[in-house]
Amino acid sequence: MQAIKVPLKTRLARMTPGQMIMFGILAAIFIWFIMACMILPILNLLKTVFFEGGKLSVDAFQKLLKSSRAMKALRNSFILAPTLSITVGFVGISLVLITEYFDIKGSKILRLGYLTTLIYGGVTLVSGYKFIYSNTGVLTNLMASIFPNMNRNWFTGYWAVLFVMTFSCTSNHMIFLRNAMRSVDFQTVEAARNMGASQWYILRRVVLPVLLPSLFAVTILTFITGLCAMSAPLLVGGKDFQTINPMIKQFADMTTTSAKSLSATLSLVLGLATMILLAILTAIERRGHYMSVSKVKTKIVKQKITNPVVNVLVHIYAYVLFVIYVIPVVLIVLFSFSDSAHIQMRQLDFSTFSLQNYVQLLSQNTAYRPFVVSIVYSALAAIIVGALVIVACRYIQKRRNSVSATALEYSLMLPWLLPSTMIALSLMLAFNQPRWYMFNQPLIATLQLLLIGYIIVKLPFTMRMTKAAFFGLDDALEDASRNLGASGLYTFRRVIFPVLLPTVLAIAALNFNGLLTDYDISAFLHHPANPTLGVKIKSLTEEMGNSSDGVALTFVYAVLMMIISAVVLYLVYGRGSRDDLKG
Amino acid sequence: MIRLDGIEVRFGDFTALKDINIHVKEGEFYTFLGPSGCGKTTTLRTITGFIEPVKGTVTVKGKDLTHVPVEKRNIGMVFQNYALFPSMSVYENIAFGMRVKKVNKTDIDRRVKEMAAKVDLTDQQLGRKVAELSGGQQQRVAIARALVNNPEIICLDEPLSNLDAKLRVQLRGELKEMQRKFGITTVYVTHDQEEALTLSDCIAVFNKGFIEQIGTPNEIYSASKTEFVCNFIGDINKLSPVTVAKINSQTGRSLNPEAATYIRLERIHVNEPHVQGRAVLPAKVIGAEYFGLYIKYLLDLEGQTLKCIDKNDGRQYLKSGDQVEVAIDPADLMVY
Repeated sequence: MQAIKVPLKTRLARMTPGQMIMFGILAAIFIWFIMACMILPILNLLKTVFFEGGKLSVDAFQKLLKSSRAMKALRNSFILAPTLSITVGFVGISLVLITEYFDIKGSKILRLGYLTTLIYGGVTLVSGYKFIYSNTGVLTNLMASIFPNMNRNWFTGYWAVLFVMTFSCTSNHMIFLRNAMRSVDFQTVEAARNMGASQWYILRRVVLPVLLPSLFAVTILTFITGLCAMSAPLLVGGKDFQTINPMIKQFADMTTTSAKSLSATLSLVLGLATMILLAILTAIERRGHYMSVSKVKTKIVKQKITNPVVNVLVHIYAYVLFVIYVIPVVLIVLFSFSDSAHIQMRQLDFSTFSLQNYVQLLSQNTAYRPFVVSIVYSALAAIIVGALVIVACRYIQKRRNSVSATALEYSLMLPWLLPSTMIALSLMLAFNQPRWYMFNQPLIATLQLLLIGYIIVKLPFTMRMTKAAFFGLDDALEDASRNLGASGLYTFRRVIFPVLLPTVLAIAALNFNGLLTDYDISAFLHHPANPTLGVKIKSLTEEMGNSSDGVALTFVYAVLMMIISAVVLYLVYGRGSRDDLKG
Repeated sequence: MIRLDGIEVRFGDFTALKDINIHVKEGEFYTFLGPSGCGKTTTLRTITGFIEPVKGTVTVKGKDLTHVPVEKRNIGMVFQNYALFPSMSVYENIAFGMRVKKVNKTDIDRRVKEMAAKVDLTDQQLGRKVAELSGGQQQRVAIARALVNNPEIICLDEPLSNLDAKLRVQLRGELKEMQRKFGITTVYVTHDQEEALTLSDCIAVFNKGFIEQIGTPNEIYSASKTEFVCNFIGDINKLSPVTVAKINSQTGRSLNPEAATYIRLERIHVNEPHVQGRAVLPAKVIGAEYFGLYIKYLLDLEGQTLKCIDKNDGRQYLKSGDQVEVAIDPADLMVY
């Protein structure tokens, strides 16, 4: 398609009245949404920080410096993020080498184990780890029976958070780094061997350098994840190890304005840090990846580790990792069939196994309600985001390089720069009172608020993926359709959209999956009478130590979510059809 | 120099190579030729050590290398995709083998520069990333990298197969020139028969894991040992039993008309002065393809279509429907 620049005025003049009305409505919706739900709330948040008491001041930062809790949280985050980058990097690289590079016995089973974080993450994962390692946890009980004098509260604080997050944050490595490993041209490995290089030398000089750009990228993503940690410090951090995000939440929940402004200031600091890191990431991505010069790549052949001692050690390491990944999943599934008494005692007794917990979940309103709430919210948000972005992408595609298209694109990508807690907080602070741009309706404690939050955080990912699909389209399709006399809308409806549909559905499915277990945003924005699954699981997990029937429910939720996530991932990736989404 | 004796290679249940016996002499340009999946690359990889045979031995200069690991063999190799390391510069690619061997820096520098000069790479190109080079330059880097450790043998696995036709012909020339200059024993794998014929001192034709024939290009082409070889190399006509019987009756030969009998296109002589011992048969021109250098005619001979080529020397230019005389020398026939 030729990118002929037709001025907006000319285009409007060429439209039929019907088209003009539709264009007007769509334009109004987008402008309102971007301004009222994104830009103005963020400006309002900045105002809360810099205009406390009506005039420009930096008091908020002074307060921040004086608040020992806030400063401690900041320090903790900046300790957690770099150390997490190192531990996740180490584990992540070893996972990729174990599953894709070295010849390890049983690597298929190992891979499945390592991939469990894709269906089991966030607050659910932390709750599973807590079940095993906390003061009444399975492993703690086991160890206490061997070492009666041990400190049962060992699993709390920095090390506990680091441990949990190290194993929960390897998903990016398993997706992006594994892809990079698969695209290594195996002939280069053979060429190096042919020239006499040892296994270690080849790994160090030939294979890892090719992975380096991807490794940088995932490391920065991990760093951001570390900074934005929420559920792990909340559930296992204890009093001494709270990080920025839990602190933002705590201050935001207080009623005083100064606490609210402290919360906003913290979120601003977090936002700035994220922006700097993302700028670095973009610079790395722009520098590009190493282009292999091969026209035909040779598939990697798994390398047998030649040194027998190292080989045995690597096998042991691989299976220890496997156990760490798989045990929580297995125990959650098993305990979901167990009765509360046995869950309390952390004892598995197969004779007591029943579907009772599942029956309870399905029959009790309070039990299934969070589940339904999350499903409805996630589905609605996924559909709305998909629809918004398709319309936006079509506009951007048709009006390439125009000011309005560029402005639209950047606005919809804006949430990418901001931590989701900052977005949630900005909505919360903006709509706790009537605003003219929200038609004077206060949104706090309404059902819409969380939906708006969900839509905003999913915009950038959806935008990136959908735009790629749009620009990957063969322009000749559109030309052919127009040449046969079809109008623009008809062409879009009958030609373009059907081609894009599989990708659009896949993106929607991934969004649905991601929102289903969300905790970070729902914690701020959920409707008091309708907690989401993430909120519910978090509160149930906190009760884990006490005697409560609710704990069994956590496991049932977790199992159901794992099933839903696994099905979605299978539909999107499993059949090998959606290569374009593999990163 | 290189001897393969009774090599057998299996991948699971599949026997990829069976009873392969090859002897490559010092300084020779030796080509493994065959269709894809015939075992030629497998044989090459057995020499370099990437594949260990279940039976048979690989010896180089009388030394048994069958179970010596790849990295200890010092056999240079140029890969199909060149396998240049994308994360390193051209210089680092060439220096790689010496860095592995911990050669000191000044020696590395000297040898990289010497080798670069030999393959016509400039100092400026040495500093570039491999992705910035053209196909021809990449090939030269790959060759330089394979030769810099002074191997006694260099193996090339279809190094020209990814290039366009014109570059292929140009690089083929450069390759032969370089081999002549370095005098190195070369084992070359290709599925392109023209490449094999123009480059090689000796060719082994592979089919389904067996060697069909070993010989010089002329032996392979003009005296193909098997029906597969004569069909695989060049274009060819299969004669009908009726035509064979007619050749018998005119020349007094006793060829078996039922046997598969072939003749090369350029061995069919059209409207030439009669020569003793040739059979002469009437035919009709039914089509022509004009190549400039020569013309390829389609002839109808007793209901059978024959292809032949005629040098475009101005002697004759035939049109469809022309009646011609076709002369065939029984000595040119290949019978199986």
